[in-house]
Amino acid sequence: MPKQVRTPISEETAADLQVGDTIEISGTILCGRDAVLPKVLKLIEEGKADELGVDLRGQVIFHTAVSPAGVGPTSSNKLEIESSIAPLSAAGIKLHLGKGELHPETVEALEKHNAVYAVIPPVTALLGAKTSESRCVAFPELGMEALYLIRVDRYPAIIGAAHGKSIYDRNRADGQ
Amino acid sequence: MKTYEEIVSLVRDALVEAGSTFREDKKEAYRRAIAKESNEQAKWVMETVLANAEAAEEHRGPLCDDTGIPHLVLEVGEDCAVTGRMLDAIREGVAQGLRTLPGRPMGIMGDDSRRIDQSGGLNPDSAGVEPAPILLRRCSENTIRLHVLMFGGGPAIRAKTYRVFHRHNTQVVLDEIVKWATEGVAQLGCSPCTLAVGIGRSHFEAASMMLQAQADGRYDVQSEMEAEITRRVNEADIGPLGLGGRTSVLATFLKVGPQRASGVRIVCVRPTCCFEPRIATAELA
Repeated sequence: MPKQVRTPISEETAADLQVGDTIEISGTILCGRDAVLPKVLKLIEEGKADELGVDLRGQVIFHTAVSPAGVGPTSSNKLEIESSIAPLSAAGIKLHLGKGELHPETVEALEKHNAVYAVIPPVTALLGAKTSESRCVAFPELGMEALYLIRVDRYPAIIGAAHGKSIYDRNRADGQ
Repeated sequence: MKTYEEIVSLVRDALVEAGSTFREDKKEAYRRAIAKESNEQAKWVMETVLANAEAAEEHRGPLCDDTGIPHLVLEVGEDCAVTGRMLDAIREGVAQGLRTLPGRPMGIMGDDSRRIDQSGGLNPDSAGVEPAPILLRRCSENTIRLHVLMFGGGPAIRAKTYRVFHRHNTQVVLDEIVKWATEGVAQLGCSPCTLAVGIGRSHFEAASMMLQAQADGRYDVQSEMEAEITRRVNEADIGPLGLGGRTSVLATFLKVGPQRASGVRIVCVRPTCCFEPRIATAELA
């Protein structure tokens, strides 16, 4: 049975999530990818995170565009995306949702902030049926790559990195 | 002879089908892989991908939010003529298909420099995504047939076209394909993949063979070389979404073109994603 994860995610819930857990995510979650994440970080660095109009604490950031075609994960190990994981975790993001293997230093940064990384299959048609609202919250000039807030119901995912461990390390070690 | 409007309609429907539908041999390939897979996470991923395909087909909506760049293969029979007006109708059909699917509005605007650095912004119209140049070839039937394929960005990042010194040994070339494919699939993220491979005398020819391999390939018909490539890449245990398991590759589609009297072969390997080849075919004659 998948673990149910609802936003905002508490410290206790994040601490309970282990590599390999299947989860279902419900609530409102943020969406952003290559173009917008560096802009979000700049606001945080300048102490202007309030301008985003959303509370980052306990939030999920889904590495996706939001377009008429729907949503689906892009690779989280792209430079602009992976480099956002540590500072966004420090700012309160509890779950980074995407796909692909992360570097060891990113896995360590997640542990430091009691945040986790989850892998979501790129199943746009299924996710569309589980997405009920979509709203651009910042940087609308980026179009589908702006920062969005969407409401989701039981998005399926697997915990890929948590508490200093990575599912990719485990698979290699097990020789699966 | 079909009218302009009829061709537009056929191409539009083919594009929507390509972006929203698994062909039956692919569904069966997934079912076989799920039945054989012992890794529970790998099985879960493939079951979810197959369920997604069924949902997309039912709603005639995108399989993936990266709806892809249209690539077209046009086949022309003995007594058939392709006119400029027909090419216009194909282009209009692609535009209508992208609006209907709907395609992700990811056409980049601006002059040469602005299209490179993406500073010209995105065209908000799904139809702003222009198709790649059409590949033309003969077919044995007396018809005009169009294959519509939608190419996503992930496989494009991990694909490779380069020369291989074959040392007069086919195995040398196969070894290199397996090496490139294993590296590419490991980085792909959206596996299990179908490997599309072309071998030719130039980069253009190798890439066009890779495209034709996807138009012609079948999951239930695999040559000895195709089966060997698939088996050897699967031994790397990359698995669906890279989470481990036996199914990194569902099949290999390989097309070998004419070769040069030389020690070099040009090889194009595209590790397509779990949804590709996204393909549909329309008869336009």
